[in-house]
Amino acid sequence: MTERFAGPTTVEAALAILASDAAARPVAGGTDLVVAARQGRKSLPESIVAIDRIAGLDHHAVVDGALVLGSLTSHEWIADSAEVRSTWSALADASSIVGSPATRATGTIGGNLMNASPAADTTAPLVSLGANVMLRAMGRGSRIVPVASLALAPGRTAAAADELLTTVIVPPPPPGSGSAYIRLEYRRAMEIAVVGAAVLITLASNGSIAGAVIALTSVAPTIVRAPEAEAALVGEAANAATFRVAAEAAAAAARPIDDVRASADYRRAMLVVVVARTLAAAAARARGESIPIPASRWAPGREV
Amino acid sequence: MPELLQLTVNGLPLSAMIEPGRTLLRVLRDDLGRTGTKEGCDDSECGACMVLVDGRPVNSCSYLALQASGREITTVEGLASADALHPLQRAFLEGGGIQCGFCTPGMLISAAALIARDPDPSDEAIRDGLAGNLCRCTGYQPIVAAVRRAAAEMRGDPV
Amino acid sequence: MTEPNRRDAQPTDAGPPWIRADGEAKATGQARYTADLAVAGLAHARLLLAGRAHARIVRLDTTRARAMPGVLAVLTQDDVPDRRYASYGLVADRTLFARDVVRFEGEVVAAVAALTPEAATAAVAAIDVEYEDLPPILDVEAALDAASALVHDDAAAYRHDPNIVSGGNLASRSTIVKGDATAALATAPIVVRERYVADMAHPVPIEPHSVTAEWSGDRVTIHSSTQVPFAARAGTADALDLPEHRIRIVVSHLGGGFGGKCDFHFEAHVAALARAARRPVRLVLSRREEFIAPDKVTHAMVVDLETGLASDGTILARKARLLLDCGAYASDTPAIGQVAAMMIAGPYRIPDLEIEALSVYTNRTPSGSVRAPSGPQACWAVEQHHDVIAARVGLDPVEFRWRNLVRDGDEGPTRQRHEGNGARETLELAVERALAGPPLGPDEAIGVASGWWFSMPGPSGAFVRIESDGSGRIVTGAQENGTGAVMALPILAAEELGMRPEDFAITYQDTDSGPYDGGSSGSQTTFNNGRAVVDAAREVRRQLLELAAQALEANIDDLVLADGAVAVTGSPDRRVTIAELASTAHSGALLLGRGSGSPPELPEHDSSSCVGRFGFEAFASPTFFCHAARVRVDRATGLVRVLKVVAATDVGRVVNAPGAVGQMTGGVVMALGNATLEGTVYGADGRQRNASLLDYKLLTSADAPEIEVHFVENPASNGGPRGAKGVGEPPIVPTAAAVGNAIAAATGARVRRLPMTPERVWRALTTGDDGAAEGNAPLGPRASTATPTGATVPAAPAGATSR
Repeated sequence: MTERFAGPTTVEAALAILASDAAARPVAGGTDLVVAARQGRKSLPESIVAIDRIAGLDHHAVVDGALVLGSLTSHEWIADSAEVRSTWSALADASSIVGSPATRATGTIGGNLMNASPAADTTAPLVSLGANVMLRAMGRGSRIVPVASLALAPGRTAAAADELLTTVIVPPPPPGSGSAYIRLEYRRAMEIAVVGAAVLITLASNGSIAGAVIALTSVAPTIVRAPEAEAALVGEAANAATFRVAAEAAAAAARPIDDVRASADYRRAMLVVVVARTLAAAAARARGESIPIPASRWAPGREV
Repeated sequence: MPELLQLTVNGLPLSAMIEPGRTLLRVLRDDLGRTGTKEGCDDSECGACMVLVDGRPVNSCSYLALQASGREITTVEGLASADALHPLQRAFLEGGGIQCGFCTPGMLISAAALIARDPDPSDEAIRDGLAGNLCRCTGYQPIVAAVRRAAAEMRGDPV
Repeated sequence: MTEPNRRDAQPTDAGPPWIRADGEAKATGQARYTADLAVAGLAHARLLLAGRAHARIVRLDTTRARAMPGVLAVLTQDDVPDRRYASYGLVADRTLFARDVVRFEGEVVAAVAALTPEAATAAVAAIDVEYEDLPPILDVEAALDAASALVHDDAAAYRHDPNIVSGGNLASRSTIVKGDATAALATAPIVVRERYVADMAHPVPIEPHSVTAEWSGDRVTIHSSTQVPFAARAGTADALDLPEHRIRIVVSHLGGGFGGKCDFHFEAHVAALARAARRPVRLVLSRREEFIAPDKVTHAMVVDLETGLASDGTILARKARLLLDCGAYASDTPAIGQVAAMMIAGPYRIPDLEIEALSVYTNRTPSGSVRAPSGPQACWAVEQHHDVIAARVGLDPVEFRWRNLVRDGDEGPTRQRHEGNGARETLELAVERALAGPPLGPDEAIGVASGWWFSMPGPSGAFVRIESDGSGRIVTGAQENGTGAVMALPILAAEELGMRPEDFAITYQDTDSGPYDGGSSGSQTTFNNGRAVVDAAREVRRQLLELAAQALEANIDDLVLADGAVAVTGSPDRRVTIAELASTAHSGALLLGRGSGSPPELPEHDSSSCVGRFGFEAFASPTFFCHAARVRVDRATGLVRVLKVVAATDVGRVVNAPGAVGQMTGGVVMALGNATLEGTVYGADGRQRNASLLDYKLLTSADAPEIEVHFVENPASNGGPRGAKGVGEPPIVPTAAAVGNAIAAATGARVRRLPMTPERVWRALTTGDDGAAEGNAPLGPRASTATPTGATVPAAPAGATSR
């Protein structure tokens, strides 16, 4: 049961509480934390530090070509941002399909990352885009951690208990690149990824693939890269056959589980479909073709 | 330790001493007597508990009440003015958008939030905008039509 | 060919606005539902649910819980009358709290009342229970094996309805038999055999169950979120051994039901808690509890079909065997098997029939009257079967139905004579409208499904009175579950009395004030209570005319009642208003009418060769319908997107168009959820794996398709008011079948497992596995559940079967 509640308005004040109260846990929108408590999965922390009023955490800017997001940036802002949609499209693909309009209005990028769910929609795009986060603690300053190594296990991150995620930094994508995130969803909203894939693909001037980063949702305890698939793409022509080979490599390496949402067989098979479609969408964007956001709704019913 | 919560609900400043873990939904319903906002699930999936917090739609069942401190809350009870229903309420009423009525408060709040963001929403935008509110009675079609109609009326277009 | 029926298609958004009387309160948040009622001194209830599918209670000790701070009462079966009660008088197989054995996950073991919800939750956790787990019985086919363990060891001793044929794990057996199907199948040129398997599904009203009970002396007032106040009262009286007149059930506003709030659930538990706690007590279920505890879910079903055909596609005979998963307690399932059998016969000309429905006890949540109980599953199976048959004989599915659907004068499954039926008209209309859309794209197809459903004659009462100022009031026992059926009753009274619907107020859903009614179940409100209101209004009409005859010194036969006044024919100046007559009446004989339309009898039929009869051996005033679904299948993922549904229904007569349209659009979307996304998933331990709205997925507004609604009007001669038939249940019946047929038409792969989830569609597309071999065994490794079960399929002539 929650005994203590604080609503600091500065990062420093929040860090001071986190440093002095070992039970203190930060809450931003509260969407995941309170749901878990209401369902009896994980009780509310004994001490809550509500960070939603910290003005220094809701900034967003493009600095030297990089996207710099305060951890309180909402999914709604990301999904609406013309710059994110055009330059970091995979992230816009993800933020625009998180939960419902209310989830997107309240839920934050920092909360989504720190919840460390293997099904979190924004994590795979951030991994594929090479994003880092800044973790800050009182007396120790800030450190930078790649999003790819932030989550350790479902619900567990590399952040210490007194550290606050303050900023997400997404580097500028390489010239000639495009990105996309597609999840397999049974419904068009209020959904959790059955499997998902984020892709950043870079095309050489001759149209072949110069490089690709692929991150997968809901196939492992954390969001994982697909190095075999990435390797299979380099130097190849950006076409359906190549994408299929890479997607099969990703699926072959994945160890999905059976659960109430899907069997492992189906997840593995769908990984092939979703990775191939995401590669195609990202490549199309790299070529300057318009793929609407969210890409999950793009080309339904068409095998790539 | 109970904490003092001060907030504004439908324009009225209110306060209550509450346990820090209480949700905004519980406080609205149990402490402040605003039962128009409903509880339909425990995982933010049904939308019956939707309210506006500083104009943003929020599932009040998964939002800590103390986070609403000093903020402006709008519930379904706050949509109508003293002498007239909100255009959305009238459109729901006249267009078959209400059957059992249990999803209606949250549905109206989501619709109001949608129109505030997008005064001229397409049918697809309406359907996406209401997707966090489950309705088991109507099949949504009459609700979508009602939102379309109310939005037009609010823009001043001929209905 | 018979004369074409009158077709009166109503586009979805047509008609003048109809403002329901409870609408403004619901739109403004003023409407109080059971959980919203402010009650001074209220205590809070929590239930201890078993949390396991099948176990013996070795020890149950409430000592610690009783001693906890804030705890007012802790009850177990030791604290209430130790009697078994029966739902609807069918089988007395259950007690309020588990006694010795728990038979499903949501079974109530104990209940607590405490000063706060938190204290109640803590006390529930402090109840000490030791269980000895027993193997859960989850597979309906295995449960029928003579060697199977029993869900109820002492079932033979249970008091039950004399029509019930039961024994062992068989809760009830019903048959529909006509002619000699065995002989006809033996000589049929073509015989098609198939198996279809449907999973359980949930009604999912958005309002979870809530009950508040408060005693005053020896009387208890129970506010309950029930669809059936009088049945809830009867159940409470039975379980607590009280006379009915000491129990008052009131429903404030009801947040939907869909059958999930039929029957009697927690009213007696909360009443007993309130008595013990000496305070009013309220119970509100969590969503998880709402999934597992209220014993009303759709029947999981295994359907084996065998149909014989002439080479021109004429149906000659059908044999079928249906296994219905009854769950742990019988509830109203024994009667539903007979409905399922009738649905498998369908509105088709079939000379020889032999259909057997077996309802089987298992350790699952008890099934029961969810919206059109058994109808969607049975229709989904048999209407896909009809597409398979049509293909087998080389007929277009529409042509096949056109040839075989019943026409006026044809005989039904028990030789009821069809009259004024719109089966073929609804087919024609749905297909015509569905084809009117844009050309089909790749992987798109249209599927159709026809069907029928009964209206449910039942006793029902109402009073109509005119107040002293001439305004009207309907006092009814009927229950408004949201459909608007009660809200539309003034339309009927107003028509009889020359008044406007808005001139009437309604007193409803309170067992102390309204006469008996069966509640919002069986699509019966307009059908039965509507007739009662018309009868009551006609009595008031006579009273008004008699008063007016005196006042106007005119012959009663010369009077016209219209526009709020009585006038003399031909002399419009000689008139007296209803308000004036009401004023006169309030110094003498009051304007007060009572209506209790005795229920129409079943149409003439012959069910002498059928067993397990519960009043559904013929269908009273049946509705006929056809849905056409346009779908697109993503072949790579199995995702099915329903683009449009056209619903054409012969409802007899539309009484209130906006209300009827709302039933159609809502029913179709509920059916689409059942068809593609919903479905209860069980673990091998007999516990539900998807008891949340995240994993039990309802369609959202973003998923729901466009729905086009059409009505065919063939007023029923012995039906509801104006010839109306029931409208609440029919729209949920054929949609899943239409979608299944569309999936098969688009892809060539047929899914014989409901719901037709993306994974199942994908599996059918990629491996040809139609999903039916799994039976209704729980989720688990596929290899262990795919045991062939061909022995249960009726034998067919060698070389004459297809699949």
